[in-house]
Amino acid sequence: MSPFELTIAEASAAIGRRELSPVELTASVLARIEAVEGPLQAYAAVLAESARASAAEAEREIAAGRHRGPLHGIPFGLKDLIDVAGLPTGAGSRARDGHLATADSGVAARLARAGAILVGKTHTHEFAYGLTTPQTRNAWDAGRIAGGSSGGSAVAVAAGTALFALGTDTGGSIRVPAALNGVVGLKPTYGLVSRHGVVPLSWSLDHVGPITRTVADAALVLPALAGHDPRDPASRPAAAFRPAPGGDLRGLRVGVPVNHYFEHVAPAVEGAVRAAVGRLADLGAEPVEVEIPYARYVQATQWGLMVPEATAYHEPTLRATPDRYAPDVRVLLEAGALIPAADHVRARRARTLMRQAWASLFERVDLIAAPAVPMTAVPAGQESVAWADGTVEAVSDAYVRLSAPANITGVPALTLPVGHDESGLPIGMQLIGRALAEATVLRAGSAYESAYGRAGLPAPAAA
Amino acid sequence: MTDRLTAQEAARWADRAGLPLEEERHAVVAATADHIAAVVSTLRELELGETAPGAWPAGWEAADVTL
Repeated sequence: MSPFELTIAEASAAIGRRELSPVELTASVLARIEAVEGPLQAYAAVLAESARASAAEAEREIAAGRHRGPLHGIPFGLKDLIDVAGLPTGAGSRARDGHLATADSGVAARLARAGAILVGKTHTHEFAYGLTTPQTRNAWDAGRIAGGSSGGSAVAVAAGTALFALGTDTGGSIRVPAALNGVVGLKPTYGLVSRHGVVPLSWSLDHVGPITRTVADAALVLPALAGHDPRDPASRPAAAFRPAPGGDLRGLRVGVPVNHYFEHVAPAVEGAVRAAVGRLADLGAEPVEVEIPYARYVQATQWGLMVPEATAYHEPTLRATPDRYAPDVRVLLEAGALIPAADHVRARRARTLMRQAWASLFERVDLIAAPAVPMTAVPAGQESVAWADGTVEAVSDAYVRLSAPANITGVPALTLPVGHDESGLPIGMQLIGRALAEATVLRAGSAYESAYGRAGLPAPAAA
Repeated sequence: MTDRLTAQEAARWADRAGLPLEEERHAVVAATADHIAAVVSTLRELELGETAPGAWPAGWEAADVTL
């Protein structure tokens, strides 16, 4: 096994035992990038020289007995929506040509303090406003979409060109590409992880979180990210995360939705997720049927919040250099100016109703288990999907549909791989918890992974 | 769903919103805005009563932040 194939937990343990050096690990990841990045295009920029220098520094510190923790010496990628001082934040857009970040984002600074090694900036769908990331190819099948908007981050982790990466999630942009590439993605509770220095899409829906190869690794990255940041108005004072001891799921009430999450879902996805819920029950969890409240209003609320907020942020650039946006993003931003304020406020009030109803739901169950996405990765260029009842849905709407409730309500949601479809493409199960219950979500995911999951190896198509 | 927005109306609304559009953009923006309005207008079915806007996560108030 090459070092790039290790999980964070394995690499960190080996570094701690002085059996693996950060320099060796980083060299292995950079060699992996050389080998597979050409066809995959996960990275907008690879920072080989600075990564080698950071790895050498980490090696010196660790040799001197100053091991900062589990991320010290671990190579990672950052979505190119997240500022790093001295580097451009391209946001996947020509509208950002010439940009240079003058300071680290909150999360980049935290990861630097943890001693992690930045190997590059990963591709995003332009300004995170889309679900495909057309620059990047799926790690399992180059003819299929990476998913988005954090497509580069998910593909890098799946392909072994980063041990972890950060993404952002406004309507599924961490969970969708993670699910489509067979890796783990965590959208934390709203306000737990700072968005300072991260290009916004929609302030009231945006989250930053980790993409990893295992649930156990997500639990190692989250503590480094979580914490109060007064520069992010949504950041929660005293926000913190400490992992809970894992293992036994006895007594854990897992809600299984009777509506919304299993409607218009590919049979292979439904089958794999229902089988995974059965396995959670085998581990001691208690499945409970639940009805998802206000399901009919999920898309309307998501759009009513996101579309005007996105336009508000982009208005000056849209006025000055509209031609620098890709057509799909430009038209959404322009049309957002025509949405009445009353519709936006109605969406904000609907969110209150949904939030209250979901809080009641979480009095009955500890988690909700559901598909992360209704179908596996579609071929590049496919724009719609036809369901068995004759309904036709836009691919982007389908991918957002099962993610959006956790963005609207702000509760944590994890996706982890639970199987493959008939084409061998990965299927993700979503575990959704109550606010700030990341420990419960990760404990359940980790227990599943320990009992049934694959060992976190890179995607075979990229091997 | 409200009446469909014409290209001319889209142009005028965009002007009023402070984001004037070039003429060749009017029709495509009108169609996209119509589609968004059709989705968002579903919320008009809701009985919102005294409900105030809020942004904090479900169950946030009761959560133990120290975990």
